[in-house]
Amino acid sequence: MPLTYTCRQHEKDGFMKKTIAIVEDERAIRDNYAAAFSREGYAVRGYANRREAMAAFAARLPDLAVIDISLEDEPEGGFELCRELRGLSPELPIIFLTARDSELDAVSGLRLGADDFLTKDLSLAHLIARVNALFRRVDALRRPAEEKQVIRRGALSLDGERMSVEWNGQVVLLSLTEFWIVYALTKHAGHVKNRQQLMDAANVVLDDNTITSHIKRIRRKFQVVDEKFDAVHTVYGMGYRWVE
Amino acid sequence: MNVSRLLELLKAGPISGLKLRTKLLLLALTTLALPWAGCQYAREMETVLRESEQQSLLAVTTTIAGSLKGRQELLFRADSLPAIGGNDARDITPVVLSGAPLIDGRSDEWDTNERNVVRVAGPGGDGMRLLAATHERWLYLALLVHDQKLVFDAYEMAPLDANTIGDRIWLAFDDKRGGQQRLFFGGSGTGPVPARRIETREYGREEAVEEPRIEAVWQRSKDGYVVEIGIPLSLVGQHIGVLIDDRDRRGATRQSYGTLDVADLRATGRLIAASPDLNDHLRQFSQPGVELTVASSSGATLTRLDAPALPGDYTKMRGFLPRMYRVFLDGGAIPRSVSQPERERAAQSLTAKAARGHAETALFAGRYENSVIVAAAAPIFSADGKQVLGVIQLAQTADRWLTLRDRALTRLLNLTLIVTLFAVGAAFWFAGRMTLRITRLGTASENALGREGSLSRVLPESEAKDELGELSRSFSSLLGRLDEYTGYLRTLAGKLAHEIRTPLTIIRSSLENLESEAQGTNGMPDNARIYISRAREGSERLGAILTAMGAATKVEEAIAHSERQRFDLAALVRTAIGAYGAAFPQRSFVCQAPEEPVEITGAPDLIVQMLDKLIDNAVDFSADGATISVVVREDASFAELSVSNPGPPLPAEGAEKLFESLWQSRPETDKRPHFGLGLYIVRLIAEFHGGTAQAANLPDNTGASFSVRLAR
Repeated sequence: MPLTYTCRQHEKDGFMKKTIAIVEDERAIRDNYAAAFSREGYAVRGYANRREAMAAFAARLPDLAVIDISLEDEPEGGFELCRELRGLSPELPIIFLTARDSELDAVSGLRLGADDFLTKDLSLAHLIARVNALFRRVDALRRPAEEKQVIRRGALSLDGERMSVEWNGQVVLLSLTEFWIVYALTKHAGHVKNRQQLMDAANVVLDDNTITSHIKRIRRKFQVVDEKFDAVHTVYGMGYRWVE
Repeated sequence: MNVSRLLELLKAGPISGLKLRTKLLLLALTTLALPWAGCQYAREMETVLRESEQQSLLAVTTTIAGSLKGRQELLFRADSLPAIGGNDARDITPVVLSGAPLIDGRSDEWDTNERNVVRVAGPGGDGMRLLAATHERWLYLALLVHDQKLVFDAYEMAPLDANTIGDRIWLAFDDKRGGQQRLFFGGSGTGPVPARRIETREYGREEAVEEPRIEAVWQRSKDGYVVEIGIPLSLVGQHIGVLIDDRDRRGATRQSYGTLDVADLRATGRLIAASPDLNDHLRQFSQPGVELTVASSSGATLTRLDAPALPGDYTKMRGFLPRMYRVFLDGGAIPRSVSQPERERAAQSLTAKAARGHAETALFAGRYENSVIVAAAAPIFSADGKQVLGVIQLAQTADRWLTLRDRALTRLLNLTLIVTLFAVGAAFWFAGRMTLRITRLGTASENALGREGSLSRVLPESEAKDELGELSRSFSSLLGRLDEYTGYLRTLAGKLAHEIRTPLTIIRSSLENLESEAQGTNGMPDNARIYISRAREGSERLGAILTAMGAATKVEEAIAHSERQRFDLAALVRTAIGAYGAAFPQRSFVCQAPEEPVEITGAPDLIVQMLDKLIDNAVDFSADGATISVVVREDASFAELSVSNPGPPLPAEGAEKLFESLWQSRPETDKRPHFGLGLYIVRLIAEFHGGTAQAANLPDNTGASFSVRLAR
């Protein structure tokens, strides 16, 4: 049974509310997230498993989906759902929000086309910031590109609104967290950003190893378009630095 | 040594300290007892055989003696008959020869060791030995004279001129008519010498008349001269003797010695000769390999029948091994080879015993090395059984038995030697294999236990059907359980963290919602805010705990995804230490790293993480204001990174444990969450770099030092 949450504020505004689908088998979490999103003026629909979610999505797509990986009897149900959802809509923002924090899960989730992969120790505020950012991006993509939002650093051009990155004119597909890390590094190129600064910029709380894997993934994604990419330097014991 | 120590030693056993291989080898060597037992058996067999041989020889001897009982005429020649009984040193007992000796004046064909030798000492160092023998109807005498000065007659034709004559030999015997024959030998040189008797002619003129029936040859010898004489037995009666007139120069005063009466040249020594039929009688008892001797009651040999050759080959086995066996076996039980005189003495003593009326058997050494002679002697009694007429002695070499024994033993010993070698070889091989298998199993289980990261469950030998296989399988299952257990323990933290994360998320998101709602309505009392903030603090701490718990799993994951690259460890450490100065302002950091690059292959991120843990550890265990020193060293194959801090010494439980998962020794007052994973992570990263992690107290016990060796 799809659960529908409404937001008091936005009801009054009469705007066409953005719909967020939460697929999460833990009812308490689902309801808490739904409450938080509703407060922000989003329409929220919650689903406890893949079948319910897919049935609803087939009828009507949400504007954004927050998916847990393990869903009731399917330990990898979230992945499957993500794949199916991506099949339905290539642009739909998808966020994985899971208790599983292994590197492998993160890589798998992002490879399936998720826009971000988050662990559940993320605070609601951070989650909402992300959701907002993703909606902003969707909006920005609908409008023509504005030149003033674009940061250029040598071969790099970075659009802050569309959250898109190009290297030597080629698009580098980054997840939201990755984008924010690159954004933080390039904003003041040459400055060392420590882990805390990067986490603040990316609206996450991560441990050292996760930061390291993010950096590694970023390097790899740039290296896909340019083998010689070497702009992200590690300053051991301190942090990272963007070198032009 | 006190009693308990002794007991302990006894309990341990004398070979408990040895390796399995040595033990089995020693066990295999016990097969050497087999040949020993075989030897004992063979020796006993041989003794029994020899004893029965002795007994049967004695029986034969007694039988022969019985056949001769009372038959003096068969033993002695008719002329000797009345003279038997009693002993006289002057008696001459000729040996019956199977062939006639050549009368040539040479002593070499005579057996000078015979018991029958009559010895007479002369003046000064001189002396003579008289040997006698008969062959068919002849009596042969050999005089072996020791004389410093052999003086011949000056003229052949003047044998009676007292002024020109030299050494002279007298021969005297009874003739059959009861008269006394006196003959002398004297010549002007070596060679045949006539026997002459002095006959008194008319006017008292003495004349030397030749006796043509008696032959003699006079020859020089090494120490004097030899005279060989041949006399037809028919001439000689009961008594016979010789006398030597020794002169140092021609015509000098004679010095007489011999078996004749010096005053009247009468023969007093008896001629005790065997009957011509004796040999024929004895021949019927002749057996292959048995030597038959008949002696007079005085012990002098009358006749000897040599042993006909033994059929078959009883020659001793040659070669190194049989000789070794004999040395090993006989060990002094069998008489060694002895010289001829000794053997003679042994035979003589046997004869002497028999002469006293006792049949005896004896064993004595033969002519050759290790050869043994079995001999038996029995007395020949007179018809009334009161008098011993003579002695019969049978001798036989026991070599037959020795040879048989040797052969059997050689075969036995060769066989056992082969078996022993085989057994030792087999034991060695078996022990070697066993040791190898056990060692392999031991090493495998040690390695399986030693490396905590991943227990390998498959041990060698698990396919084997024997006890080792069982052991291996039970080890495997034990290791499997241990693996499951350690795996469970290892993943417990991670699982727990994962499981707790969901309710924690519920709490946290609920709190956040609560706060947001409260802000919206402004209707929350201050007390509630305090409680909410406390709840948030609690949940944050819980979050920190979860992160710490999952740290090892994270590192393992990071290791699995790490890529290796060449980098300069010294530079990395220098940069990182710079950062630590800012992170821990209450500590000062000293870095000793070589100026030149210390290149290693590895993951720099992990090395930094490892350094983080080491520094964290050093900071935790040192007081404010302490100086933490970090040293980078290198040698041919390793780079070493060590972090030392002043502080309490390491726990006594052992430095090894420090690097184990979930082990820690921290003061109870520490508030931050610790799961004893820091140093475990250090070890994981060190092992990923092909190295080791070690901890030690500083030399002066003022702190601890943790060092990590990394393969270059």
